[in-house]
Amino acid sequence: MGPARSSGVGSGNSGAYTTEIAESLRFEEEIHSIVHPSLDSSPAAGGSFTALLGLPANQAVELLHETGPSEAPSSAAAPSPTGELWRLRLGEHAAGPLHLPLGCSPTFPSNAALVERAARFSVFAAEDSPELSSGGGPSPRLKAEPPDSDSPPPLPIPTEKTQRPAKRKECEKSKAKGPAKKSKSAEENTVAAPKETAAENTDGEKLPYVHVRARRGQATDSHSLAERARREKINARMKLLQELVPGCSKITGTALVLDEIINHVQSLQRQVEFLSMRLAAVNPRIDFGGLDGFLLAECGPLATANGRGGVALDPALWSSHPVTANGARWLPQPQIRHVDVWPTQQSSTAWTRDGAAHPHALLNPGASLFGYDPASSVSLNSNQLKTEL
Amino acid sequence: MDEKHDHRAMFSSERGHDGFVERSRRIKMAAEMGLARSSRGRHWSRALRRRLLRRKGATSGGSCGCKDDSSSSKTVEELGVGENEDDAVEVEARVHALQRLVPGGEELGVERLFEETADYIEALQGQVSAMRALACLLDELERDKRVMSG
Repeated sequence: MGPARSSGVGSGNSGAYTTEIAESLRFEEEIHSIVHPSLDSSPAAGGSFTALLGLPANQAVELLHETGPSEAPSSAAAPSPTGELWRLRLGEHAAGPLHLPLGCSPTFPSNAALVERAARFSVFAAEDSPELSSGGGPSPRLKAEPPDSDSPPPLPIPTEKTQRPAKRKECEKSKAKGPAKKSKSAEENTVAAPKETAAENTDGEKLPYVHVRARRGQATDSHSLAERARREKINARMKLLQELVPGCSKITGTALVLDEIINHVQSLQRQVEFLSMRLAAVNPRIDFGGLDGFLLAECGPLATANGRGGVALDPALWSSHPVTANGARWLPQPQIRHVDVWPTQQSSTAWTRDGAAHPHALLNPGASLFGYDPASSVSLNSNQLKTEL
Repeated sequence: MDEKHDHRAMFSSERGHDGFVERSRRIKMAAEMGLARSSRGRHWSRALRRRLLRRKGATSGGSCGCKDDSSSSKTVEELGVGENEDDAVEVEARVHALQRLVPGGEELGVERLFEETADYIEALQGQVSAMRALACLLDELERDKRVMSG
């Protein structure tokens, strides 16, 4: 592959980005070999590249060369062609290996025409629909893609492959689409009921921010539109909740989902209660001291009479601090030690030590409830959620 | 504050069942207060704080305005799903249940309720993890202390 590569870096290219070309060639060869293991190693240097275009060789060459020599390739051009390549590749459209004459150089023009053509091409192949006519549509959108498709590394192609159509769908969703894309974006705009989009493609489209699709046979006055919009917002929120509650996304039906959510909230509240009982059962010589007062006070930390009240159990810590060895900070001073916070066994001795007749029958001290598995990372991401919402 | 004297006495003298229950209740209250404070901006956190302060024995009746669900304007019909009558009723019942669970939920409409619920769930999960870690830590310390001293 060495000589092929070096011969590929041919005429007209500055030596400056020879290595980059080599890199990109290697990448796309890898890609090529991954996706098409049948096509072994392309015999010609530019063969794989033009094979990606899926064009017959001469057209490809002509395309390349019409744009190639006119370009003044900069070093910035090198990354973007690889972006194109991947987009093309994801078009999954391999004609057989093409055999270019060795003399031709696979220049990598960052030409708009080629980009557009590549974009169109991949759009066609991925969407797999008779949208060839509206090929001009996707291209301006997809032009925005090269910048962000450059940065990810070339290797995770299969994931990118699914991301690309997803990205495109998102782009579609964010703009008011013409009737050509009705069927596709309809299913994204109408979250609740996948009814067929009507021929009445009414005022929901003209507004830049309201994307309500009028359903068949439904009134389109402002009142019901607003109602529908609100309903969809509600459904979106419920989807969010579904994601939050484990195991909820498979459930269909509002009532059942709500059931799950309610159960989850109840179980969490019960856990808090159990844990507080467990904490209470800890040997009270670990004096929480003025802790309760500290937290319950309206106005910040009190000057606690108890010297050990210096427990900085700042509530803010609970939400923003990862609970790691910082646990040492939580304790009254004399007991600060670096302790391994993840004990492997949950000792229920705390319960039995205290002779109190507490309802430990309720509390299954098994690992299920109290077992702290570090794998369930302390995802105190309430802050994150706030920013997202 | 006399309350501090109370629980200090409790810690030192009453080791019995009542002391334990009382202590756990206080801890729970402290935990909830911490929870409420850590998410200050949310409706549920404000409602939780109100509730806690009320329970702490605020004698002033004016502050503890009993907020009931009279203003739950957005009803369940706007959920729009489950077009049958029974479904709507079921869903509504659950929404009411959720409203009771989430602090401050009873005055919220469905949409806001769901938002608050999401945030509340996350905060609760965080709190549970924190308390669990604290409990483990304390247990660990106890064990080590006993080992060292025994």
